[in-house]
Amino acid sequence: MCEKKVEELTYVQLSTSINPSFWNKFTEIKLEVDKLGEIEHHIWGYYNVIPQKHGINLLEVDSTSFNEKFNGQNMYIPFHGKLINKNTIEQFKESNKTDLINDEGKSLMEKIKNELVLQDPSVLNNFFILSFADLKKYHYYYWFAFPVPRGLVVTKVASNLITETFSENEIQILCSQFKELDNNLRSYFLVERIENGCKLHTLQNKIKNVTLQNKNQFYFTFCNIANTNIAVGSQLKNYITMILYYCPFLQGQIANFIAFTLSRRDDFSVTCDKSIIYELKLPSQEDYTWVGWEKNERDRMGPRLANMKNTLDPYMLAENSVDLNLKLMKWRVLPNINLEKIKETKCLLLGSGTLGCSVARTLLAWGVRTITFVDNSTVSFSNPVRQSLFTYLDSVQMKPKALAAAENLKMIFPGVKSQGVQLSIPMPGHTVGESLLEQTKENVAKLRELIDEHDIVFLLMDSRESRWLPTLLANYSHKITINAALGFDTYLVMRHGLRDAGDARSDPVNHREGFKCINGTELGCYFCNDVTAPGNSMKDRTLDQQCTVTRPGVSQIAGALAVELAISILQHKDGAKAPAFYKSPQITSIQDADSENECLLGIIPHSIRGFLSSFEHILPATEKYKHCIACSDMVLKEYSENGMDFLLKVFNSSKYLEDVTQLTEIFNDIDLEDVLEFSDEDFQ
Amino acid sequence: MDASFKLEDFCASIENIVAISNSLMDGWTLHKKEGVENGKYITKKYSTSLTTSDANDIVVTFEYHIAYHLSYGVPVLCFRVWKQDGSLLSIEEYWALNENLKGSSMYDTLTQLDHPVLCQPFLTLHPCRTQEIIQPFLQHSKNPVISWLSVVGPFVDLTLPDQYLKLC
Ligand SMILES: [Zn+2]
Repeated sequence: MCEKKVEELTYVQLSTSINPSFWNKFTEIKLEVDKLGEIEHHIWGYYNVIPQKHGINLLEVDSTSFNEKFNGQNMYIPFHGKLINKNTIEQFKESNKTDLINDEGKSLMEKIKNELVLQDPSVLNNFFILSFADLKKYHYYYWFAFPVPRGLVVTKVASNLITETFSENEIQILCSQFKELDNNLRSYFLVERIENGCKLHTLQNKIKNVTLQNKNQFYFTFCNIANTNIAVGSQLKNYITMILYYCPFLQGQIANFIAFTLSRRDDFSVTCDKSIIYELKLPSQEDYTWVGWEKNERDRMGPRLANMKNTLDPYMLAENSVDLNLKLMKWRVLPNINLEKIKETKCLLLGSGTLGCSVARTLLAWGVRTITFVDNSTVSFSNPVRQSLFTYLDSVQMKPKALAAAENLKMIFPGVKSQGVQLSIPMPGHTVGESLLEQTKENVAKLRELIDEHDIVFLLMDSRESRWLPTLLANYSHKITINAALGFDTYLVMRHGLRDAGDARSDPVNHREGFKCINGTELGCYFCNDVTAPGNSMKDRTLDQQCTVTRPGVSQIAGALAVELAISILQHKDGAKAPAFYKSPQITSIQDADSENECLLGIIPHSIRGFLSSFEHILPATEKYKHCIACSDMVLKEYSENGMDFLLKVFNSSKYLEDVTQLTEIFNDIDLEDVLEFSDEDFQ
Repeated sequence: MDASFKLEDFCASIENIVAISNSLMDGWTLHKKEGVENGKYITKKYSTSLTTSDANDIVVTFEYHIAYHLSYGVPVLCFRVWKQDGSLLSIEEYWALNENLKGSSMYDTLTQLDHPVLCQPFLTLHPCRTQEIIQPFLQHSKNPVISWLSVVGPFVDLTLPDQYLKLC
């Protein structure tokens, strides 16, 4: 054996790794079994003794650590651990760390003295975790300790590679005998040099046969858990403590050790030919105190904090998954889409019926987080099958629609900030009596407040008149306004022109041959246009708007289109001021329109009219009508000068609007022709 | 008509992998979720140190899963990566650390999908191209899962030693 300089051994402490499933299981046990009890749990630690290419071997705990039996695979050796959980952060901080580790050390000494260690030498691989779990926050404070006797000094007299002492063949035999051992016997065992070879013994079978005289033929072997073979795992100190208990005559003597180190050959077969043989001078037996707390990630003696919120909190899992879905769209298809803008957009849904439900769901899918529902009716028995946010139970309980929609939306995705507001929207021609005066004023004020608090106003009601006041108020407040209305098998989805905030008129848009183009500020509103039934496809149907139904798919289509139109507006550099094109009949594809005026999602039409009987869309654009009863300068001027007085005059008589806008008979005309105002409410 | 990779073929392949792994002490483990048609899958863990963009080293553990995707009819390679304290890396954090995927169409290749058996989100090599990759192996390889893994595994730090490939 080549003599080397006498020196101390280099010890390393294990690095630890916690499998997420460990926290999961621990949380389950704490909540369902331990509850308020401070119960100590035996836990298993797993250590893979075979190094992996470019890998690091760690002591791992996972959900199976709490099992009664060690169920490790063949490359693991067991560590015996204990989880000591404290109920409060104070108890965690104040628990006496010195006492704790000394208690664990004493308990290890017991296992040595009562010979348990001979049956199961892996008890020398001991550890414990002191923890505190803040389960509301999914924060876990934890501190590993690997108790070893303090001040046990071993002197390295000599060391050499195993190949210098044992033949290739003997090493091969050792390795295969090692593989046949049970997991718990693999950490510590004896190798005996016999005539013409060597033999592996368990401690139980042989340690008591070691004497001062025959000690040189024995090698106290330990499975080295240092990731390098120039150091040894700190648990060697426990092994030596045990050896000195069973072989007290070795005090002050030199004994042979093998740091059994597994590695892979080029052909991936497992070998122990990197093992190191040490001649160690052992100290005298003493009553030791115990040390071995793990340093934290800042290399200090202190606990670590695992923030498991994103990993374990189902709320965060939902939140992150919803975002990820949208990010994948950004990463894969639309690198320039502004998802933050969508997420921050606050949407006001006036009407919480078929359209309101469909719009809310699609907004949610786009990542919109603030959605307010307004409605004044309750969920009826016919609603749930068509209105995707309601259930049968909501109709039994006659829940107010706006509130039920807001609640159920949260049940679908708790990350949404949804609220419901029960509100009747005052309407032109619906006379306000003395008794309703205050209420009406309050309703107007509330509606105005809601419009001001949101970024997009969706008009999703089932009557034409109820759209008038929000059209006026949204226009007055410069809000993006999206309107959707349904016929039996037709629908209209449109954006309202956005009034210019200042005097500046938007730049004229390039006109292209075959296209008509209207600036976003010049576009009409719902009331500007003569809204007749688009393509009256079923002429012989009775057009009685008080008793009409819609094809069930219509509201889903129109609701989805309303949201897609809104999202396209949000992604255009000019927002709702984006110009609208519509093509002359001779041009075949709208895609030919000036791409400069598109957003990354495509064109932004003024309106979309769909016809289910022919499964067609057309995209008309119309200019603002200067006599419009809702968006004309005359109306806005009246409202800005006379406010509530003006509104009350309109509520009491729609004729007043005709005076203001110098129109006659507008409501008569519209009432007769308006067939875009059906709702399934009408059937009740 | 392309040959298909049946569930029985998959199960035979992964059981074969576990048998080889046990003899090599390589760590692949067979799991079975009862009452699920494609309930058999295998896992293996691997810890290593990765360098972050701000030049810090972090120790992470990979847990690879190979399961069978019923609707695609192909094996799926999915995995989770966690730090030493047990917190999982998000897909964005993993992308930032993975050199192999940089520059390639990584958003198409590696995504987050639900585990075919456990139904929880896992980082996943998207199964839509697996059929294409595994197809040539179906006729000639004794273990198409190994052949396929040897092609796609290295993208996510999973390498199979030659001892497995010899058996294909
Ligand atoms: Zn108008």
